[in-house]
Order: sequence, then C-alpha cells, then structure tokens
Amino acid sequence: MTRYLFGSFAPAQRQLIVVAAVLLLPVFFLPMLPIWHLYMVAPQYPEGLTLHIYSNTIRGDLDKINILNHYVGMKAITPGDFGEFSYMPQALTLFGVAALAAALFGRRWLAIAGWLAFTGFAAVMFNSYVQWLYRYGHDLDPRAAIKLQTFMPPVIGFQKMANFKVWSIPGIGTWILGFAWLLGPAILWLERKAPAATDEDAAEAPDAA
Amino acid sequence: MRRWMVWSLAGALALAAIAQSQGCSQRMAGASGSAAQRVYVKPGEHDAYYAFLSGGHHGNIYVYGMPSCRHITTIPVFTPEPAVGYGVDEESKEMLKGFTWGDAHHPGLSETDGDYDGRWLFINDMPNARIARIDLKDFKTRQIFGPIPNLSAAHACPFPTPNTEYVFAASRFSAPVPLDRVVRAADYQKEFRGIIAGIKVDPQDGTMAMGFEILMPPFNYDLADAGKGPSHGWEFFTCYNSEMAYDSLELKASQNEMDYIAAVDWRAAQKAVDEGRARMIGGAPVLDPAEVKGIVYLFPVPKSPHGVDVDPSGQYVCAAGKLQAEVSVYSFEKFRAAIDAGRFDGEKMGVPVLPYETILEAKVPVGLGPLHTQFDDRGFAYTSLFLDSQIAKWKVGAPWEVVDKIDVYYSIGHLMASEGDTRHPTGEYVVALDKLSKDRYLNVGPTHPEGAQLIDLRGPKMELLYDFPTYLEPHYAQMIRAEKLKPITVYPLAENTKPHAIKRAEDARIERKGRRVDVYMLAIRTHFTPDVIRVNQGDDVYFHVTNLEQDDDIAHGFGINWSSKNMQIEPGETKTMHWKAEKVGITPFYCSNFCSALHQEMQGYLEVAPAGTPIAAIQRPDPARVAEVAAVLSAE
Repeated sequence: MTRYLFGSFAPAQRQLIVVAAVLLLPVFFLPMLPIWHLYMVAPQYPEGLTLHIYSNTIRGDLDKINILNHYVGMKAITPGDFGEFSYMPQALTLFGVAALAAALFGRRWLAIAGWLAFTGFAAVMFNSYVQWLYRYGHDLDPRAAIKLQTFMPPVIGFQKMANFKVWSIPGIGTWILGFAWLLGPAILWLERKAPAATDEDAAEAPDAA
Repeated sequence: MRRWMVWSLAGALALAAIAQSQGCSQRMAGASGSAAQRVYVKPGEHDAYYAFLSGGHHGNIYVYGMPSCRHITTIPVFTPEPAVGYGVDEESKEMLKGFTWGDAHHPGLSETDGDYDGRWLFINDMPNARIARIDLKDFKTRQIFGPIPNLSAAHACPFPTPNTEYVFAASRFSAPVPLDRVVRAADYQKEFRGIIAGIKVDPQDGTMAMGFEILMPPFNYDLADAGKGPSHGWEFFTCYNSEMAYDSLELKASQNEMDYIAAVDWRAAQKAVDEGRARMIGGAPVLDPAEVKGIVYLFPVPKSPHGVDVDPSGQYVCAAGKLQAEVSVYSFEKFRAAIDAGRFDGEKMGVPVLPYETILEAKVPVGLGPLHTQFDDRGFAYTSLFLDSQIAKWKVGAPWEVVDKIDVYYSIGHLMASEGDTRHPTGEYVVALDKLSKDRYLNVGPTHPEGAQLIDLRGPKMELLYDFPTYLEPHYAQMIRAEKLKPITVYPLAENTKPHAIKRAEDARIERKGRRVDVYMLAIRTHFTPDVIRVNQGDDVYFHVTNLEQDDDIAHGFGINWSSKNMQIEPGETKTMHWKAEKVGITPFYCSNFCSALHQEMQGYLEVAPAGTPIAAIQRPDPARVAEVAAVLSAE
C-alpha cells in the first residue's frame, strides 16, 4: 500500500493529470466561465431573467430580480454578501497547481491527496450554494407586501414558483470541473488495466524525478 | 473518398437550390397571397417597416407598422402631451417656448448617401416656422429649431439633403422682411418677400443651426426635394402665385400659365455667407440674389405646381402642375447645361429664369390634379391624382407613359412609397394619404377620420391591400425598413448625467432656498422616496424625479392632484416638473402610469403649511426607509 501511494505514474497518466490541471486553472483563475445558471421565465418576462454564478461573482439581471424579490421580502442578492467569492478562485487555482505538481513529480500520493481535497472542497461549496438558496427562500421579511410560504428554490433542475418558471442548471465551468474531477478515478482505473507499466515506471521513477 | 466528396457537394448544391426556391417563393407569396394574408402580421411578430405619418394640425407624428397598418405610437412634437408630460416638464416646456399648437406636414428621415440611415426624423411646423428633430434612438423630440427668422409659414420644409447636410424651409406666405415692419397688404409686391432658409445639421448629433437665407420674390413657396447623385448640392422648391396676389388667391393666383421651381445651389449659398456677402436681418444671414449671383435659379412649371420630386437616379426633377393633367419632367443635365451656357430668359427680382423648353425632358399625361410623385426600384414613378382620386404608375424614361392606375378613397394628397424618395426605393408598398374618408369607416359624426390605403407595388399592377383610418391629419409620411432602426428600451442609468439626477436612496431629499424648493425624488417599484413633502404656501416646488428602473417598459408617472401637472419618467430617466404650492392643506400625488402589482400604492402627500411656517432647509426621508430602498438598489 505504502509502495503504491509513494509510487509514481506512467507518462500517459501524468499527461492526463496535466490535462486536469490545465482544465482547472483557466476555469477558476480567469473568472470567465460561469459555474451555475438560474433562468426565470414569467408571462411578462418571455425573454427570461438570468443569474450567472461565477467563481468570484454573480452577473445577469440582478437589479431586475432584486426589485421583483422585494415584493415577497426576499433579501437582495448582492455579490458582496458571498464570502465564498473572496477565496474560491484562489482555492481552485491551488488545486490546479497541486495537480500540476502531481504531474511534475509523478507521485501518486500527491495526486490522490489533491483529488480528495478537491472533492471535499467541491462538496463544501455545493453545500454552501444549497444553504444560500435555503436562506433566500426562508429569510423572508415578515413585512413584505406579498406574504409567501417559505420555499426552497430548485438546487438543480426545474421548479414553478408563483408566476415564474425557474431552471437551475450547471454552467460550462462546472462541466469542465466535473470532467477534471472524473479524470482522478479514470487515471486509477487506467493504471489497474496496465499494472505492469506502473511497476516499471515506479522502478524508474527516482531517475525520472 | 472521392465519391463521398462528390455526394456531399451534390447535397450542398441541392440544399442551396431549395433555399433559393424558398426565398423566391416567399417573395412571390408576398406579392401573390390574398390581400388579407399580405397585411397579416401574426400576434407577437413585427412589421417589416416603420411608417412615420405627420400629424398635421395635431402637431405630432404617428408611428405605424407596415404592412399591418397598426398604429404603434404617437410622438409629441409641436403640441403638449400631458400624458407623458411633454410640454409640462421643464426641458420640453423650454423646447416648446410657449406654443401649444403646430401644424406638422412633412417628416423627413435623415440620410447617408441618399438612403435613410435611421438616425433622426425631421418635421416642420408650418405656421410657426419651426423644425423639430426626433432622435430615433428613443423616438423623442430632442430639438425644435425656430421660429426661423424672417420666414413665414415653413411649408416647403424640411426635405433633408442626401447626407443630411441641410434641412430647408421656405415661405409659403410671403411677408415683410424683417417681419416686424408695419406695412399694408396692398404693398405686397413692394414690401413682401419670400425666404428660402438652409438650416445646417450637425453630422454627429443632428443639432440644427442657421446656415443661410435667400431673399426671394414674394411667391408662395410650396414643396421641396433635394437633388441626389448628379443633382446633389441642389434643393428644388416649387412655387405658385407668381402673380403676386395678396387677396382672392383662389382666382388671382391661378392666372399665369407658368409658375416656377426655384433651384438653390446650397453649397454656393453657404460659401457666399462664409465669405461675408450676406446681410444680417433678424439674426439670420440673408443673401440677396440681385447682389449675389449663382446661388438660385428659377425654371418655369405650368399651372400652380404643388409637389416636386427628384427620381432615384437624381437625373430627373418631376413637378406636377395641380391645375393641369401632366407631370413635367426636367432634365438636370439640361438644366446644368443651360446655366453653364448662360441661357436665361430674363430674371425675377434678381433671380435668373431658365427657358422652359430647353430643360424640359418630357410631359407625362397622368390624369387630373397631379400632386406628388414617389418611386420604386424598377424604374416606375407613382403620382397622386387629387381630382381623379387615383394613383398613376408611369415609366421614368421613354416612352414616358402611364402603365397602370388604381382608385383611392378619397382625394389623395401625398403618397408615400417604401423608401420611395431615396436613391434606393424598396418598391414594395405605397400608402395613399387621403384628404377625405367620407363613408369608408363606422360613422363617428361630422369630424371624419382621415383615410389611408396600403397598396402593393410588387405585382405588374398595383393592388389595394388595406384601408385604415388615421386621426387628423397626415400630410406626408416616410417608410423605412424596420431593421434600420435600433431604438433603446431603457435609458442606461450609468449614462444619466442630468444635474438633478439621484441614483442612491441616501440622496433623496428636499432642499429649500427661500421660496424655491427642490425635491430630489426617486421612483422605483413601487414607491416614491421621499413620499411626504412639507412646503409652505407660495413655494415654487421643483420635483426632480429619477426613475431608477432598468427594466423594459417600467415607466413611472408623477401626477399631482388638483393640477395640470403630470409627467412620465422612463426607466433611467430624470425629469423636472414645477408646481406652485397655492393652497394650504394636503395635496396627494401618485404614479399615473400603471407600473406593477402595487401601482395603486405608489403615492405620496404634499403638506402645504401656511406661508412662513418654519421648515428645515434640508428634509430627508426616514432613515429606516432609506435603508430598505438602498438594500434593493445595492446589488449593482
């Protein structure tokens, strides 16, 4: 087991880790790719209202949505309220760097640790997203003009809310992120398929490093 | 591999052929379905053209969609429109200069290279000699130029030049120059003069400014059109009453066989002004053609002409003598040659007259009462016939023959073909703008609506598609392909630089200085902030209302009870309205433009205290309220 963890990858697997790193870095380092979308359509908004969540901010029809939400006493959605935006790009860049290091040094333990930390981080972030949705749907101002039952906005998928149809869909950033994440188990599975190559590489590894 | 390539090539060709035939069949369907199909625009779909119809003595512009003939909106121009606060808020009040009436005749779209560019729409107010510019970014009147000095009744106006270098105006009712002289009408020939004015248009922002004026014989200048292509640089004006009658014009002004077209070389006129050869009269540089040669010429037109229209090539100038059954077509080339050869047939008050026969190209026997001519893209002209209540279609060029006629209902004045006065008419439609509607619509009593017909030009024969009434009284109109206009739907708040705009709840306040009170108010669904305002009797209160919405179609109104004060503020806009606190007591105000679910709650109170009651110099709304509003606004 120890030998396995401290062993290193075959060049093919190392290349895949580089791929994972390359995928991770631009997504989070450059906050260009949205990680989540909320689309809202109402009879008087046939063109739809949108919220695009990025690793460091929220864009889209924030002002329009906040004005509509104030009728039901929902707290205004303000990018400054989200502490996550202040560390998410840096944290995820760090995972990219870790993957790059794993590829460079070829050490299996580094890759696995990085992958596990990444998984944990993604779970925490997803949970925090769910918590935010919960809070927006539950912390309603009791003085609001329109009094709604508290509600849970759709975490993913479709939901009808009052006169709005709401779709919650992962963005391209999340798809890329998911692909990078899947590369972890994929690499281990590929190694299992060709164990001979792995041992051989493990023996040569010190020289290679 | 090769076979694969051959097959895909064949497939691509087949697809292209299908696409081609689809395109063809669509165009044919447009010209061949039933009339109902050709004017039907499905719910939720848009028309292919914007049509701008002048509102005549209603003083505004009607916007229609074509081919559905649906009235989309009305743009207030020369007449106050309290519904939106036009002429009520300080800026538009200032623009109207106290006038509450105008007679708007001839909309003119701005052009680039002789084609509509969709930037501005100009329109004249004949009686008060004004020209307005409507910005087609927001369909709002942005400038009213005039009353133009020395000029009386701007009918031949504005008829922009091919690059919107100038808009023009000319006196329909000649008058003493300057206008404030004390003279008798009987001294008409001696004391009265016509004026042709060239108004410069700023190429960047469309701002109009005085260019030049030309002192003309006291005829009645009627209509105008700009030269284009080879005739670019010239503006042509018809005139009647070359008899120079000042009374009983009906008879006395209909005696001469020939009246005139005045052709103005506007570049030469501007050059003369720039060289200091004009005299300043009434604040305008006036050129006297007796002293300054080469700026204007007259050429004879039979029998009291009305319209003058230059064909798309810019080669032919068509004028219709309204008491004659022919359109006279003049060759610009021959006109130019006659000037160069100095072949003049005398002069009128210093303006050289060119001989009729030498510059005439053709006479087209169109029918009775010809008034105006428009063009298509296939070399045909369309002339309205007032007396015959018809449109005549004729070939521009030999054998100069009428090829088709269609009845209209009734007594057509102007007609408007799709982009039909540009260098590239689209040749799809013409709209007949009729002076009488008589029995065509449900009877609404003696004040009949005006009538209009949409006519399809795409087939070999003109075909009547639709009959639609309009409110008083379109004269001329313009029709432009819809895709050439890209209007905004909200005013971006970031670009609102109005000095009295407020963009944060914290800035909402009431400031007093002596008897002047400035209320800095914001409007957003669904409240005004501040909404309780304390003032003293006799105060002049200025409400500066900023609509902080950035959502389509969420306009707010601001109306004050027991007053004539109301305005509409569009998303992102700031408007200022004055209200005098005349009576002690409570006066409610409210949102007069339905905005949203809690529109009924959008209201407030003005508390008017007896004069002299102490009131703080700055009042601010309740901080808790400000915080609530600020919370909604803070996202951006």
